[in-house]
Amino acid sequence: MKSVMNLVGADVSNSKTDEKAPALAVNIDALTFSYTKGSPPILSIPQWKVPSNQHVFLSGPSGSGKSTLLNLLSGTLSPTSGNITLLDKPFSSLSPRQRDKFRAQHIGVVFQQFNLIQYLSVEQNIKAAVYFAKKGASSTEVYERMLTLIDALRLPTSVLKQKADALSIGQQQRVAIARALINNPELLIVDEPTSALDTAARDSFMTLLKSVAKDSTMIFVSHDMGMASHFDTTFSISDLSDTNNSQPTGALLC
Amino acid sequence: MLGSIALESLKRRRSTALLTLISITISISLLISVDIIRTQVKSSFTRTVSGVDLIVGAPSGQLNLLLSSVFNIGTPTKGIEWESVATLKNNRQVDWIIPLSLGDTHRGFRVVGTTNAFFTHFKYGDKQTLAFKNGAMFNTPLATVVGADIAADLGYKVGDSIIISHGLGNVSFNNHDEHRFVISGILQKTGTPVDKAVYVTLEGLEKAHSPHQGHGRASTGITRPSAIQNPVSEHEHEHEHEHEHEHEHENATESLEDYNVNAFIPEQVSVVMVGLKNRVTALQLQYRINQNKTTPLMAILPGMALAELWQIMGNIEALLLGLSALIVACALIGLSTMLLASMRERYQEIAVLRSIGAGPGTLLLLIQLEAMFLAVISTALSVGLVVAIMALIKPWLSSEYGIFLSGPLLGKSSLIIIALMLFATYLVSLFPAIAAYRRGLHSGLSGR
Repeated sequence: MKSVMNLVGADVSNSKTDEKAPALAVNIDALTFSYTKGSPPILSIPQWKVPSNQHVFLSGPSGSGKSTLLNLLSGTLSPTSGNITLLDKPFSSLSPRQRDKFRAQHIGVVFQQFNLIQYLSVEQNIKAAVYFAKKGASSTEVYERMLTLIDALRLPTSVLKQKADALSIGQQQRVAIARALINNPELLIVDEPTSALDTAARDSFMTLLKSVAKDSTMIFVSHDMGMASHFDTTFSISDLSDTNNSQPTGALLC
Repeated sequence: MLGSIALESLKRRRSTALLTLISITISISLLISVDIIRTQVKSSFTRTVSGVDLIVGAPSGQLNLLLSSVFNIGTPTKGIEWESVATLKNNRQVDWIIPLSLGDTHRGFRVVGTTNAFFTHFKYGDKQTLAFKNGAMFNTPLATVVGADIAADLGYKVGDSIIISHGLGNVSFNNHDEHRFVISGILQKTGTPVDKAVYVTLEGLEKAHSPHQGHGRASTGITRPSAIQNPVSEHEHEHEHEHEHEHEHENATESLEDYNVNAFIPEQVSVVMVGLKNRVTALQLQYRINQNKTTPLMAILPGMALAELWQIMGNIEALLLGLSALIVACALIGLSTMLLASMRERYQEIAVLRSIGAGPGTLLLLIQLEAMFLAVISTALSVGLVVAIMALIKPWLSSEYGIFLSGPLLGKSSLIIIALMLFATYLVSLFPAIAAYRRGLHSGLSGR
């Protein structure tokens, strides 16, 4: 019998083999952000480049601007100045609508609070992401991919019919990942989803996440440095903010 | 997908959604009911009188004359002398007349004394003449023709005998039970007050009111045919005294093929419907009748009397429609308030939908879908409710108010009201929809 991991490897990584991946998944140039106009920026990143297909760990203490950076990368916030280029697209220059569309089609986001729509079933939550992305996948393809992801994330098929608010935290976390990955995103942004897990569960979750997202560029944010070992590269938010140091500190850790 | 999200979202807020649904349903029902009653009253009244050029009666109000003579509503006017009627009949402009004697009832239904001219000249709807479902016109002095609803409600058939009661109202202690009328015909349904009336001969009515029968009439304005000039009728009258307890048999056997109901000359009748040879002369004749000082009569043009009625009713209609529209507006504002209130708890949900790709148009559509779901369900419920209520009160409306509901209840105006209501729903749902999208995506996701 095929292992779950093999199944995941076969099905989840199927769509981008023929496409030429951009050299850089993320390219930030002279980025500043402040919540109110005229106030000093709470985040300032002169330059940051993330190559495609890298799994990057971004660390930093609470309040250092990690989540703000992820929100800028996912387009839920707009930079005060500077440019963000994602997958060779000038993401920060796009209109809100174009940004929404680009995000839906190319970026998967796993939020810290998972942000599932509570009154919808798991299946509806996942299918909504497919519906709004409008990538033209057939319903059979979507359903098969959904089953594969659910299986890979070690969730029972019966969970599909359950309402999101009836799920445990762990289940919600996995459903959020399934929703983020259902459209085969080139870029996966994950914002500290393991904060509620113990070490064993956290490591198990990371193994799972890496396997299902192995063909995507992943930027994973956490203040827990213990997780850095799961990633190719590690950055500290304070390093990014330093104009003289845009080299990954993870090179030392790996 | 959007439909199922909208539906699940409503289910999530089922209590508020249900209350909103009920308030919208009640308000739309009210608006549609007012409109249906309004249009049906007009249609019912307009349908009832057709082909009658003038109605002549004792001087009173033209509405009273019209309502009592055509619609069997209200108290009949006092009688007019037959001499005046005869003069009118002999006028060269007059083609035909239908004399009507009013004031009696049969088990709550109006009894109308008339001649066979009623069945040949009276028209309703689009100039349709009365037709018999069973039997035929008056063939004896004590013959009666009953309307379709009476036959159906009371299970009457041709040959059955009935008695009439003195005065109006559902209960009478003064029955003319010495004179049983035998049903000679049952009219086909017309959807007018004709269906709920009992027609008897003027002669039969006179017999029923004969003072020597012990039922002397008070002066109530009820006309009393008195001069019986038909020899056949006189013979019957004598015969009647000898067999007071065998009236049914007597009436059944006294049928004579050559009975001429029009030959009877009453002393008075309540009102006369007049058909003219040329309708253009109606105004002229009306003027002459009304200006005649020697014989005080009042002639009305049914169309003009109806116009006066609509004029009076128009203000009430407008008031009722206005009030109903205000109630609908309140219900729609309630809907908008419900959606706006729900937005506070939905900012995160809206932000999540945006984060997975839902555009502004899609979100607008989603909020509006919820509102439209409620509006469409409410409309369907309202239509069902109103149709059911109308079916229930139909007999009451026709018996109490002479309003006959017929044809498709939802007319053009009701459909316009429904379309306007749905459009108004679309408009009021724009406010919460725009408010939802204006809220920042980040603040929605972070709960700020």
